[in-house]
Amino acid sequence: MKVSIYRYNPETDREPYMKDYELDTGGQDLMVLDVITRIKEQDPTLSFRRSCREGVCGSDGMNINGKNTLACVTPLSEVAPGVREGKKPLIIRPLPGLPVVRDLVVDMTMFYDQYEKVKPWLQNDRPKPAKERLQSPEDRAELDGLYECILCACCSSACPSFWWNPEKFLGPAALLQSYRFLADSRDEATEERLAEMDDPFSLFRCRGIMNCVAVCPKGLNPTRAIGHIRSMLVQEGV
Amino acid sequence: MIATVTDKRPVNLDLTTIKFPLPAIASISHRISGIALFFAMPFLLWALDRSLASPEGFEQVRSIMATPLASLITWLILAALMFHLLAGIRHLIMDMGWGESFQAGRRSAAVVFAVFVVLMILAGVWIW
Repeated sequence: MKVSIYRYNPETDREPYMKDYELDTGGQDLMVLDVITRIKEQDPTLSFRRSCREGVCGSDGMNINGKNTLACVTPLSEVAPGVREGKKPLIIRPLPGLPVVRDLVVDMTMFYDQYEKVKPWLQNDRPKPAKERLQSPEDRAELDGLYECILCACCSSACPSFWWNPEKFLGPAALLQSYRFLADSRDEATEERLAEMDDPFSLFRCRGIMNCVAVCPKGLNPTRAIGHIRSMLVQEGV
Repeated sequence: MIATVTDKRPVNLDLTTIKFPLPAIASISHRISGIALFFAMPFLLWALDRSLASPEGFEQVRSIMATPLASLITWLILAALMFHLLAGIRHLIMDMGWGESFQAGRRSAAVVFAVFVVLMILAGVWIW
């Protein structure tokens, strides 16, 4: 099969370019990460991030045939019809919108800066109980679909609003995390959290295009979380 | 030194290489049609003003509107209006918290495009 990979080495290349490789997979339905690893055996200069190789660490987010996803949990048969059989090339690019350090490795600083802004930790100034702050099973269930985020950046780097305003728009990942704490019965900073987002950019640059939901490798729904925060802001304002 | 290296970093943002699912196309078209409507406004207001000013003005606007080019432009303005209206209603419904799953988003976008095509055929029949 033909594999086309985005290459850029800041020390030798002035511009990034696409490099084509040939790989014999024997028709196996490999994960894309396995394909890249085999290509690295052919060409050790290829750089990419990976760690757990099972969709938990979120290191190998990349753009595969136009869609952001984790290479380690994406089999060739899911990329596009014909890719596994070698009829169509596998095209791998770094996550869009983030500065490329080298090949498929991007600088995630802008992404983490937005994550930090939402203060992604539990805020509660009440005296600490002897053991732990308890939650009813119902309150705990509110966090389902929110806490599973692994911060792979597939969503935010698929979002045009984040591409054009990465410094002012929080982006789907950070907004999902913000709602994760807004929805937490133990968190007491709801008002402060909402006040931080009450401006034209932080949250309201979301146009509901749902690219984030379309790409999330964990099947989460930032659009819905953003909708919940928007409703909370409206109620706060009334 | 480090700063100059960082400044030169390329960004992968070739939009032709990135897939846009149907809900994305619906939302982006909604914004583009909104901009188109904004630019159509002066012409529409001018035509309204002329046609109300005097019987001669009304005749003038009517003769302009009867030309094939003006008919096409009218149809295009109607297209922008129809699409902006339909996609806008879709967004309003989603803002109320309905149909926020990806499947529902794709279905509602498909409905918007389907209704839009039907309305534009009807508009074409009405104009020509």
